[in-house]
Amino acid sequence: MIQQFIYTIDQISKSVGHAFSWCALMLTLGTCYEVVVRYLLNDPTSWAFDLSYLMYGAVFFMAGAYTLSRGGHVRADMFYRRWSERTQATVELTLYVVFFFPGILALLIAGWRYGIESVRINEVSVNSPAGIPIWPLKMMIPVGGALMVLQGTAEALRCVLCLREGRWPARLHDVEELENQILAEAARKQAGTQVAS
Amino acid sequence: MSDPAVALTMLGILVFTIMIGFPVAFTLMALGVGFGFYAYFQPGQEFFDSRVFYLLTQNTFTVLNNDALVSIPLFLLMGYLVERANILDNLFKSLQIALKGVPASLAVATLATCALFATATGIVGAVVTLMGMLAFPQMLKAGYDPRLAAGVVCAGGCLGILIPPSIMLIVYGAMASISVVKLYAAAMVPGFLLAGMYVLYVVAIGFFKPHLAPPLPKEEGEVALGEMLKLLAKSFLPLALLILSVLGAILAGIATPTEAAAVGAFGAAVLAVAYRTFTWKGLRESMVLTARTSAMVCWLFVGSATFASVFAYLGGNVLIKDFVLGLDLSPITFLLLSQAIIFVLGWPLEWTEIIIIFVPIFLPMLPHFGIDPMVFGILVAINLQTAFLSPPMAMAAYYLKGVSPPSVLLTQIFSGCMPFVYIVLVTMVILYVFPQTTLWLPGRLYGG
Repeated sequence: MIQQFIYTIDQISKSVGHAFSWCALMLTLGTCYEVVVRYLLNDPTSWAFDLSYLMYGAVFFMAGAYTLSRGGHVRADMFYRRWSERTQATVELTLYVVFFFPGILALLIAGWRYGIESVRINEVSVNSPAGIPIWPLKMMIPVGGALMVLQGTAEALRCVLCLREGRWPARLHDVEELENQILAEAARKQAGTQVAS
Repeated sequence: MSDPAVALTMLGILVFTIMIGFPVAFTLMALGVGFGFYAYFQPGQEFFDSRVFYLLTQNTFTVLNNDALVSIPLFLLMGYLVERANILDNLFKSLQIALKGVPASLAVATLATCALFATATGIVGAVVTLMGMLAFPQMLKAGYDPRLAAGVVCAGGCLGILIPPSIMLIVYGAMASISVVKLYAAAMVPGFLLAGMYVLYVVAIGFFKPHLAPPLPKEEGEVALGEMLKLLAKSFLPLALLILSVLGAILAGIATPTEAAAVGAFGAAVLAVAYRTFTWKGLRESMVLTARTSAMVCWLFVGSATFASVFAYLGGNVLIKDFVLGLDLSPITFLLLSQAIIFVLGWPLEWTEIIIIFVPIFLPMLPHFGIDPMVFGILVAINLQTAFLSPPMAMAAYYLKGVSPPSVLLTQIFSGCMPFVYIVLVTMVILYVFPQTTLWLPGRLYGG
């Protein structure tokens, strides 16, 4: 039941993260287009600069919760990884309550007031006469914050599950860094040869 | 408690929480908000009217539209695409044949492959694991000392975080308010100096202690000159050209780092298409990993911005600065001390945390000691190579261990990395004694 709830949240964060990863491609293509029309045709666009940081902001900010669900935010695990899983879960749950939720909730609530004001006045960028709307970038703060709160809840529930079961619940399968794929493959092979011999 | 004392408490709690292993971005944000609420507290004010909330959203927005950071996802995407273009095999083979004449040729070819590939990808783990599967067994088979072979793969794999276009320098530039273009120019000579010292060391080993790096049998891999040039043109030249044009465009001031990075990412995809290794799956994976790694780096900025403003508002910066200046250190002592602290921080922490949280503490003191922030930044970037190579962190060593045959011990890999750690330290001394190594190229290109 709790497990299902956690997976649902993971899935939401993952879908949002994957969807917004397209912004990385649009950032690439948009900037390349600008390079071509500016340097080759001497006819720069009025929107490329604004588009570039809109896309950059979207890709990293909206992927924040997804990164959390993959355990991808930087942490120093020098001591952490040596503890028993129960100790890890106890410490982590405490820290989620003390350090995660206050900061992220503040971001969500303050960001909402900040973003909605920008929407109300239909704020546009001052960088160019094209009048690229700036409010989507500002509204990302509360939306990204809300996703973070959601994913943080899932992570805190993972700690609860771990405390109950004594071990960390499994995570959904997803894209992995190349080195992790290679290491997992190597470990599998080694285990295979040991069984064989 | 006085305000600066509160600031120190804030820093103390941060260090403690980092050490117990909570994701740093959130700790920073929560401490910034909590202590900020205290710092900006005005009796009778509505809770959410506190200035700290304005600060939090404003700082977050500043990171969201910070055009110095826009190139981060682009360089990441370029790296992930190159990583998946499956070009390492032929690159290594062609360099190996081309370098056949030099002593310890396999090791030199490994270093050269690592340097080029790491420069393009900038991801330590990928380079070390890939080369650990490709070059490491070949060196072992050729009778190389396993320690030397391990050190070569690890040290070569770490060069990507230093040699431009490196993400680390973008992040440092954003923290120190130095243009990335200048930093890239500054890192060129030191980067190649370090790589050159590595090569020199291996060649010397091959020359003076050939039993550690025996030459390949004469008949093996004998190819005609024309054949070799064809191989090089096919597998070495395209990647080299991609990197050179990206860097060249940035350094010559033809394109901004963002534009060059975008063209680089596009070029990486074209490269994959040309090598017939382009897949939609590879592209999707690259995009997703780009999003995740960008989030990892940039959320750290979001958290640290508010923390740093509150810390400074409470007078924490001034307190530390006054304390250090009060010690009346000589510039060299200060530099040694600060680099030693960064060296030690590299054991438990990753470079992102060090550069975004701890390096800014030193930055305001640099003018007092007459140290150029560019030189300092390059020293930090070189210094942090050691964190990847030496225990307890030694990520490169662990990556290599994960893909090497069980007969190779972790302790062997560690001891193989040590000579390279010493070379890093020697390089730092050279850079300090001759700051021109860093300052010459930016001065030449951009004056002042």
